Amino acid sequence: MEYAILLLPLISSVISGFFGKKIGDKYCMLLASILVGVSAILSLIIFYKVLTEDYFVNSLIFNWISSGSFSVNWSIYIDPLTSVMLVVVTLISTIIHFYSIGYMSHDPHKPRFIAYLSLFTFAMLTLVTADNFLQLFFGWEGVGLCSYLLIGFWYKKPSANAAAIKAFLVNRVGDFGFAIGIFLIFFFYGTVNYDEVFQQTPLLIQKEIIFLGIKFNLITLVCLLLFIGAMGKSAQIFLHTWLPDAMEGPTPVSALIHAATMVTAGVFLVIRCSPIFEYSQIALNVVTVVGMTTAFFAATVALVQNDIKKIVAYSTCSQLGYMFLAAGIGAYNVAIFHLFTHAFFKALLFLGSGCVIHSFNEQQDIRSMGGVWKKIPYTYTLMIIGTLALTGFPLLSGYYSKDAIIEFAYLKGNSIGLYGAYIGIFTALLTSIYSWRLIFKTFHGKYNNKESNISSIKESSLIMLIPSCLLAIGAIFSGITFKEIFIGPNSSEFWGSSILFLNVIQYDHPPLWFTSITPVIVILAIPISYYIFVENEKILKNFKEKNQFLYNFLLRKWYFDELYNFIFVEPIKKIGFFFWRKGDINTIDRYGPDGLSKLVKNISDKAVNFQSGHLYHYAFVMLLGLSVLLTYLILY
Amino acid sequence: MTEIGLGHYLSLSAIIFTIGIIGIFLNRRNVIIILMSIELILLAVNINLVSFSIYLQDLVGQIFTMFILTVAAAEAAVGLAIIVIYYKNKGSINVEQISSLKG
Amino acid sequence: MIAHSLFFYLFSTIATFSAVMVTISRNTVYSVFFLILVFVSISVLFIMIGAEFLGMIMLIVYVGAVAVLFLFVVMMLNVTEQPIKNIKKKAIINNKSVGLIVGLIIFLELLVALGGWKYKDTFTPLSSINPDLNITNTHALGNVLYTDYIHLFQISGMILLVAMIGAITLTFKRRENIKRQDYFQQIQRTKETSVSLVEVESDKGVKIDD
Repeated sequence: MEYAILLLPLISSVISGFFGKKIGDKYCMLLASILVGVSAILSLIIFYKVLTEDYFVNSLIFNWISSGSFSVNWSIYIDPLTSVMLVVVTLISTIIHFYSIGYMSHDPHKPRFIAYLSLFTFAMLTLVTADNFLQLFFGWEGVGLCSYLLIGFWYKKPSANAAAIKAFLVNRVGDFGFAIGIFLIFFFYGTVNYDEVFQQTPLLIQKEIIFLGIKFNLITLVCLLLFIGAMGKSAQIFLHTWLPDAMEGPTPVSALIHAATMVTAGVFLVIRCSPIFEYSQIALNVVTVVGMTTAFFAATVALVQNDIKKIVAYSTCSQLGYMFLAAGIGAYNVAIFHLFTHAFFKALLFLGSGCVIHSFNEQQDIRSMGGVWKKIPYTYTLMIIGTLALTGFPLLSGYYSKDAIIEFAYLKGNSIGLYGAYIGIFTALLTSIYSWRLIFKTFHGKYNNKESNISSIKESSLIMLIPSCLLAIGAIFSGITFKEIFIGPNSSEFWGSSILFLNVIQYDHPPLWFTSITPVIVILAIPISYYIFVENEKILKNFKEKNQFLYNFLLRKWYFDELYNFIFVEPIKKIGFFFWRKGDINTIDRYGPDGLSKLVKNISDKAVNFQSGHLYHYAFVMLLGLSVLLTYLILY
Repeated sequence: MTEIGLGHYLSLSAIIFTIGIIGIFLNRRNVIIILMSIELILLAVNINLVSFSIYLQDLVGQIFTMFILTVAAAEAAVGLAIIVIYYKNKGSINVEQISSLKG
Repeated sequence: MIAHSLFFYLFSTIATFSAVMVTISRNTVYSVFFLILVFVSISVLFIMIGAEFLGMIMLIVYVGAVAVLFLFVVMMLNVTEQPIKNIKKKAIINNKSVGLIVGLIIFLELLVALGGWKYKDTFTPLSSINPDLNITNTHALGNVLYTDYIHLFQISGMILLVAMIGAITLTFKRRENIKRQDYFQQIQRTKETSVSLVEVESDKGVKIDD
């Protein structure tokens, strides 16, 4: 059964990719969606099995590499952590497949899109069912590749191509650190299989190595390198620049890859390697700090963005920061729980944005929308549900997961945890402000669209609404349903050995005043933002004019892109240009092909003069030859 | 120096031979000069053969010289015929203008 | 002996001088005349050293036939006196000096080659026909030519024949537009094609179709 989960998306990808044209677009998409749907149902069955009867399996597909003492297998490793991820990935993927049938209905390249989507699903599944680092890396690279393919899906647009390359390159930086981490693991542990690595870790905690001239604790170094990979894949600060530009891809892509699955691969990596991370406090602190900085940074930037998809993208970035914050303070199960709920409401938000964009005829700027909440009520409802869940409105799923993170951070006790808790609360405030800004600017206020008439705003088709409804159900109920299982006091029964808790987390509750800060702030933010963004826009304008520098700073994403451009991109382009010009053209080509051809031409031009046509020239040459021959004969 | 030996005749032959060869490619006038230079070359060879024949008391040299004479006459005839025809076709036998082998 | 050397030097100087003048004189007719002078002086040299048959033959064949042929062609072709053209000085200088140098080299090499032989101790000729010294050169040559070298003799006759045919083939031009006899066609006439009986009516005439 596990094989089917993995293979069905692969089969659907192959069929759509190679035979899409023959089958026809409609059947191709339907077939792919159904196959992935079957995979989702099977994952639900497995999840149920894990839940009820502690189902565990590590089934070998085949032995991939066996060289000396290095042995790596392709296998499907199902444990509680994996089963949760399986459910998330396959369920969201199925919903997205169905959604794309409606969203991409005007696109001429539907089979290719579906093939890439299914391929991505397959790669992600390979990633989560790996039982060794190499298969994980394969899935890692696979999802990176599919991300590149899907972001640059509309390859005729130069901005899409640039964004795809940017995503791939920034990911590559992360992958570089990740690869070095795997190499270190192999070098010191002698194996890359999870079980053996996790078993040997307690024996190596005192080991110190010299890396690039600096003395490091081995475990810390390995964790830091692995985390660099996670930073790249999950768009944490410094390696986040690709995520907003990745919105060049179609909205289903953004929903699947950049909200629910690929960007969570980094979180999954940290949680999967919790047995290693637990032994390095430094690495955990780094994770926490990076996580909360990212959360704060992304929320501030999202406050002033004008593209609807970019707002949601930064929101994703911010929520991923929350997940890393949770992982860094040792509350891995809370991180997974937040991942689980986040997948639902973020995908819902993206799909809703897709419906909005569709209704507004491909308009993505929220300054050109407004006042349509009565015209597209279903989309409006879905977006409201998603936003409520995102901001952590009480009783919805986000409330349970996000507030759990803040609580556990507070409970950790040390300064980093406290710091994380307060940043988390402030970021929650920012989150609700920008989320409600999105809603109000899009659906309320004046109708600002210059291109189309308000009467042309229509509701999206059913095929797009129904999957979103399914996600809405998940967004509402997933929190309250799974809270006990994932993060309740007895959750270690569920998680078993998939997550290691070195220091058992306390499950007390923080003081009541603390736990009520967040919900109060979040609920209050609704009318405040309504007032600022809809009723009295002048306050905002004055604020903007007085703090022009701050506004620009936030609008330009803290000038990260410009900084990276200055430090990395321009010099590298210059170096590349230099090598191309000097090295390639001047040196190699000049002495190689071009030089040779010019040389041949020159020589033959000169040699033509030998054939002057005049007889006496020929006689002269003959004479010369004769004299040479005579000289030779006489001298020897 | 007063005793004329084989060497003197041979040097004479060498001188005439060289003059004939130089004459082939140093003339800028017409093709007939080339033919005359060829006759000079053959003449030099004849001198060589005859002087050796007399010196070695061997008649082979003179026999061979007769044949060379024959061939030289035949070749001069055919060469001149060619020149005549060429002149008829091209209108000039200036060496500078004979360059259709150019390229 | 002195007379011998004196004559030798005299005639060899004349020969060399004339050879040079053949190549550098501007009037082609003068070149031919100088060529004749070369032949004559060399012929005298041959007679001097005892090969009188060859000397005479040279006079008759070379001067009497070949040089006259040259003259005929020169006169027929209307070779004009070439003015000294100032073609690229550089090219002329270059060519002439290089040519002279190469000529000098060839000359020296010839001397070396032949001189080296001269100082050889032993020499066995490949085939030697020692002439009987009591007969004239002509007689001696005749003894050998028609017996031992008869094949070569015939072949040289063949060569002359071929040369003659070649020269005629090259320059022979059949004139158009003149009437000739084609006697093969004449012989092949038959009664049927040439004569026909026609019934002629009076006052009507005969129609002869050609």
